[in-house]
Amino acid sequence: MLLLPCPHCGPRDAAEFGYVGERVARPDPNAATPQHWRSYLYLRRNPAGWTDELWLHRAGCGRYLAISRNTVTGECRSTPGEAG
Amino acid sequence: MMRLEPQPGEVIDRGRPLTFTWNGRTYPAYAGDTIASALAAAGERVFSRSLKYHRPRGLLTADAHDPGCILQVGDEPNVPGAARRVSDGMAVAAQGAWPSLRFDVKALNRLAGPVLSTGFYYKTFIRPRRLWPLYERVLRRFSPGGRVPAAPPDGRYEHRYVHPDVLVTGGGPAGMAAALAAADLGARVLLIDDQPELGGHLRWGGPDDLAALTELRGAVAEAGNIEVLADSVVTGRYEGGLVAAVQRLHGSGSLTERLVKARPAQLIVAPGLIERPYVVAGNDLPGVMLSTAVRRLIKLYAVKPGDRAVVFTANDDGLAAAADLERAGVDVRRIVDAREGGGIIRVRGRGGVRAVECADGRVVRCDLFVTAVGWTAPTALVTMAGGRAAYQAGAARFVPAELPEGVLVTGGLAGDGTLDELVAHGRATGQDAALRATGASGGGAPISSLEPAAHPQLFAGRTDGVVDFAEDVSSKDLKAAVAEGYDSIELVKRYTTATMGATQGKLEAVNAIAVVAAATGRSIAETGTTTARPPYIPISLGALAGRNYQPVRRSPMHDWHVEHGAAPLVAGQWIRPDHYGDPAAEVRNVRQHVGIVDVTPLGKFELRGPDVPDLLELLYVNRWRKLAVGQVRYGAMCTDDGVVLDDGVSGRLGEQRYLLTATSSGATGIGEWIERWLQTEHPDWRVHMIPMTDAYASINVAGPRSRELMERLVSGIDMSNEAFPYMRVRLGTVAGVPDCVVWRIGFTGELSYELHVPSGHGLTVWQALLSTGADLGVRPFGVEAQRILRLEKGHLIVGQDTDGLTQGFSAGLDWAIKMDKDDFIGKPELAWQRVRDSHLMLVGLQPVDRRTVPPEGCQIVEDGGRIVGRVTSSRFSPTLERAIGLGFVAPHLSEPGTVVTVVLPDGGRVPAKITPQLAHVDPEGTRLRV
Amino acid sequence: MAGPGAVRFRRPSRSRARYSGLGLVRRGVTGSSWPPVWRHHELRDRYDVVVIGGGVHGLATAYYLAAQHGLTDVAVLERGYLGGGASGRNTAIIRSNYLTPEGVRFYDRSVRLYESLAADLNFNVMFSQRGHLTLAHSDSALRTMRWRAEVNKLQGVDSSVIGPSETAELIPLLDVSDEPRFPILGGLWHPPGGIVRHDAVVWGYARAADTAGVHVHQETEVVGIDVAGGKVRGVRTSRGPISTSGVVVCTAGWATTVCDLAGVPLPITTYPLQAAVTEPVRPFLDTVVVSGTLHVYVSQTDRGELVFGAAVDPFPSYSTRGTLEFTEGVAAHVLELMPALAKLRVLRQWAGLCDMTPDFSPIMGVTPVEGFYVDVGWGTYGFKAGPVAGEAMASLVATGKTPELIAPFDLARFTDGRLVGEKGAAAVGH
Repeated sequence: MLLLPCPHCGPRDAAEFGYVGERVARPDPNAATPQHWRSYLYLRRNPAGWTDELWLHRAGCGRYLAISRNTVTGECRSTPGEAG
Repeated sequence: MMRLEPQPGEVIDRGRPLTFTWNGRTYPAYAGDTIASALAAAGERVFSRSLKYHRPRGLLTADAHDPGCILQVGDEPNVPGAARRVSDGMAVAAQGAWPSLRFDVKALNRLAGPVLSTGFYYKTFIRPRRLWPLYERVLRRFSPGGRVPAAPPDGRYEHRYVHPDVLVTGGGPAGMAAALAAADLGARVLLIDDQPELGGHLRWGGPDDLAALTELRGAVAEAGNIEVLADSVVTGRYEGGLVAAVQRLHGSGSLTERLVKARPAQLIVAPGLIERPYVVAGNDLPGVMLSTAVRRLIKLYAVKPGDRAVVFTANDDGLAAAADLERAGVDVRRIVDAREGGGIIRVRGRGGVRAVECADGRVVRCDLFVTAVGWTAPTALVTMAGGRAAYQAGAARFVPAELPEGVLVTGGLAGDGTLDELVAHGRATGQDAALRATGASGGGAPISSLEPAAHPQLFAGRTDGVVDFAEDVSSKDLKAAVAEGYDSIELVKRYTTATMGATQGKLEAVNAIAVVAAATGRSIAETGTTTARPPYIPISLGALAGRNYQPVRRSPMHDWHVEHGAAPLVAGQWIRPDHYGDPAAEVRNVRQHVGIVDVTPLGKFELRGPDVPDLLELLYVNRWRKLAVGQVRYGAMCTDDGVVLDDGVSGRLGEQRYLLTATSSGATGIGEWIERWLQTEHPDWRVHMIPMTDAYASINVAGPRSRELMERLVSGIDMSNEAFPYMRVRLGTVAGVPDCVVWRIGFTGELSYELHVPSGHGLTVWQALLSTGADLGVRPFGVEAQRILRLEKGHLIVGQDTDGLTQGFSAGLDWAIKMDKDDFIGKPELAWQRVRDSHLMLVGLQPVDRRTVPPEGCQIVEDGGRIVGRVTSSRFSPTLERAIGLGFVAPHLSEPGTVVTVVLPDGGRVPAKITPQLAHVDPEGTRLRV
Repeated sequence: MAGPGAVRFRRPSRSRARYSGLGLVRRGVTGSSWPPVWRHHELRDRYDVVVIGGGVHGLATAYYLAAQHGLTDVAVLERGYLGGGASGRNTAIIRSNYLTPEGVRFYDRSVRLYESLAADLNFNVMFSQRGHLTLAHSDSALRTMRWRAEVNKLQGVDSSVIGPSETAELIPLLDVSDEPRFPILGGLWHPPGGIVRHDAVVWGYARAADTAGVHVHQETEVVGIDVAGGKVRGVRTSRGPISTSGVVVCTAGWATTVCDLAGVPLPITTYPLQAAVTEPVRPFLDTVVVSGTLHVYVSQTDRGELVFGAAVDPFPSYSTRGTLEFTEGVAAHVLELMPALAKLRVLRQWAGLCDMTPDFSPIMGVTPVEGFYVDVGWGTYGFKAGPVAGEAMASLVATGKTPELIAPFDLARFTDGRLVGEKGAAAVGH
């Protein structure tokens, strides 16, 4: 399986991680229209190529990590400090 | 007997004779013999029947890829008999032939040959439809393969992780040289070879080859940092550079196979070359063999492969094989050299080779036809790893054209050369790999070039013969497929099943491509290859699975439950006590006296910090900011689509200390959920979360006499109703165990206390409760009684009384959802749900007939059959002595008193009445507050 | 006979190419070969309808357009070879025991179409209705099965919950030892379920569509979709442009990238779904066995191979390389169920791409772009639905009206908040 770059633990087998999803900003819950909110809930870019994702290093440091990954080639880059 | 005098490089140990059985008859063998070599030595020539036409099949390649020698060995099906060594007492049998290998009734298929043309089953058995199952049964009778045993077979399997810098697969001269060179530079090397001993083709070479072999083997044995895995095959290189090999173990107890996994910095692929069969009429008769097959038989196993031979060659290896045959006493009647214009029309015979018809018209009688028409470079590992193979017409083979990062090739896969050239290339490759692996530099010494040697493109003769021996697919079948419009190699492959059998294209793919290319008028390069997929060789389920580690979680009181006759309930990873014999009695005991239940799997999380109230306000749909120290509250969580995620009670233990509980099944996920919101949305909040699920043993003490019982065991807490009322939490000592959390809640609907005890003391407290409360009638109760009690009380279970689309207002959480909070997860969707007001509603249900309990999952219908709801929970209530339930109904049916129709599994329909509230017992909640 | 103007149901292959046992014998004896299953055509610069994707969905859509609606000016564009995508990579399980009434109705129609497909297409697709059995290892699984069975029965689909002993009878090698880690508490038994020869379905539809006049273009990749004034105008391909007013997207794995060309965003995430096949062994397993808890399904083909499938990969990807973790996991889970198979060997593994939607249901119907239809989001259940989806999409394209059968599966449900309840079953996993 892929090796994912954990900024805290080093490169680790993807089996240690949980995939959370594409990084999507949560709209203002008090201002969002249904269409806007449901885009946040359901629509995804799902590109064949580089994508920004959120992963959880479940069997490691327990941190949520921002990772850029190429969904075709499997290359991965950690984008430190951006999990928030 | 076909056994020869001792040969210089033979691998059999004549000092260790063995016996084994073949189709019930006992045969001799020597240690080191393969099943096939021992049988061949005894004069056997037929080992199997072909898949479709049940033609007799003998040895073709005499190695692991031999398609004619797939056998049943004891309880193991589909064993490659030309690779598996004989062990004493082994029971070997032919597969698929009936009644016997010699006389196989299914060979009658041959008569129907013209009709059973490729894809015939797509064209017939179409009408009448009802007869297809019958035809299918007949077809299945002709399916190939061995038998799986009825009981789990002998054998044990395990996984091993290794950490070499350089992994070399293939222990021929180039592979050994590569390993040695890498090791010389300090790299840790793993050298993997599929044979019992290293050497590759040197093992069946001449005296010079054997001398070089001895030297190389000695050097490998002396090298400190080379580990050799013999009898092992690399099955694939996967993403992330992961390499797996399956190692067959002999004589190590019951351990059968080991899956070895590594992520080497560099992988050197050195598998050598695979000799290709020749496609011509009669090429699958027993007695047709590859040049490497006869050389293996003679040199390694001292078996004479036949008496009179014709050799058809397009290279010098064929000539070397002819020389070996002569030395072994085989009468080589004719050598037909394609380079000199020679050719073969067909091989004649029935049940075995009788004669060979040459292109010049001569017919030569013989019992052995040996071909040496070219090589296939096994590029599969390279292409699986992301590399590319390209056809080199001059060398008549596909070669690695692009290597993926971290993969190098040497030996025959890279090119051809003398022994010295192979070794030199191996050494340079090994050095390069070691330097790359240890990061010494971008690359090592320049690698001397090893070019594939020129070779005639010789794939098929003028007559049609078998292309895929495992699948019984002929060149005629391939041409017919092309003529029918299946004109790309992938379509031909799928239509004819060529390359889809046991050999997975290793022997036959290039011949198939050549035949398809000729039939379509395209070149081989244009036709291209099919995709190689892992595993490189078939790998057992046992080896893949390894030892079975399925984690199980048990509470500290688990053994007590077992000793006291608890029926186990598998709930996710937890094994829980379902009941101790009579759940209804357990329910009554709780309602009348007091019971205790082990609720350790309950998810528990300690939250600390000044911003915990902000977190709780966000997580839960209800309000938390005013929760005072010592208070507990029920809370429900939704996801951002408004769907109910989890629920539980949480309490404030101190100024900045909270304990949050989640459902048992949701525990792990809720911990991650909380962390996610903290880490990604609100990293500024000062909150620490500590998972406590396993740190506390949890016991619920429930029943009218629970306070009396608790008072006897608790110190430091005033247990009176005034001092410790409903929905409060206290910290104190229970049964002498300090630091316990005690909260007063009521999942069961009774006066009850939930204890969270440091888990090491769980059993102590459990036993103390039972012994101290014997006179109060305390009894343990299990999960089933707890479920009945909660259903009587109308408490929902998330995931049972809700599903993946159940939003908050459907779950009867109206009272809890606070839309005036600034934010909470799921708020917008819940706002819209309330406006829409068309959702299913969770209601209490009571079947009009008090004895009829509709099983959970039964549907609620109207107008004859339209589904308008379902029963989510149902039980017979021992307290009310009637059937009770919870369920979803459409909004127009949710008014209390409405009678709805429930469909039973047998189709019967029963009326059930909607109750005023979810609770069936004590809806006012007085029993909780006493 | 159909009168003028009536919808003509064209039976393909009334010609000399008709497949039959007799034909096989005749050609076997005379040695004459069969005519090609489909023909090669030049790519025209316009078609009435362009179907993107030469798998079972695309070919079925084209076939029904021609055969049931008389629309024959139809092109099917396939980037590679026919059936080379998900149609050739699935585990070919057919069933209709879904959870929601709309799902059950839809898949039941598909099962019925499959039952008559060999005769309709004059191509034996080898639909083997050997029964489909889902194992319950927990009481919550059993509860969801009861729910499914009850919904199924109300829709007229044969489906019932059976006990452990009946389950053991159906699966001879099942581990019924005293305390297996995953006890068998029962199962959901669905007799009409089974397996089919997936390639044959693709080839059968392609042959019948070709006979009916459809142009099937292999090696033809769509590189652009022209939209103007809110309407689809044409498709650009690797072999040249096509003008058209009707485009149907029938791709699996690449729905997002294709629909992006038309500016239609989708609620889809693409995951690999892996499968593996073993060496053949003598027949011992007559049913399709599924364990949701262990994430594994097993069937034995008529050739004796065991076919294994599992859940989609743990993270999205467009890679079809296949992982070792998959075969390790599937092996461990199969041996949990049937420990006697330890010495059976995996021969080959592969992966296909699955377009997963948030509610585990497909997306069929119109889009905000007029004339641009989608038949996508098929997750792990696309092959089962090929015939019915083709029939319904053809009806939509030909008549402009969305058939009731597929109305619940429209794209707009995600903006309107009307998700399909199949998610219910998926979420009641614990």
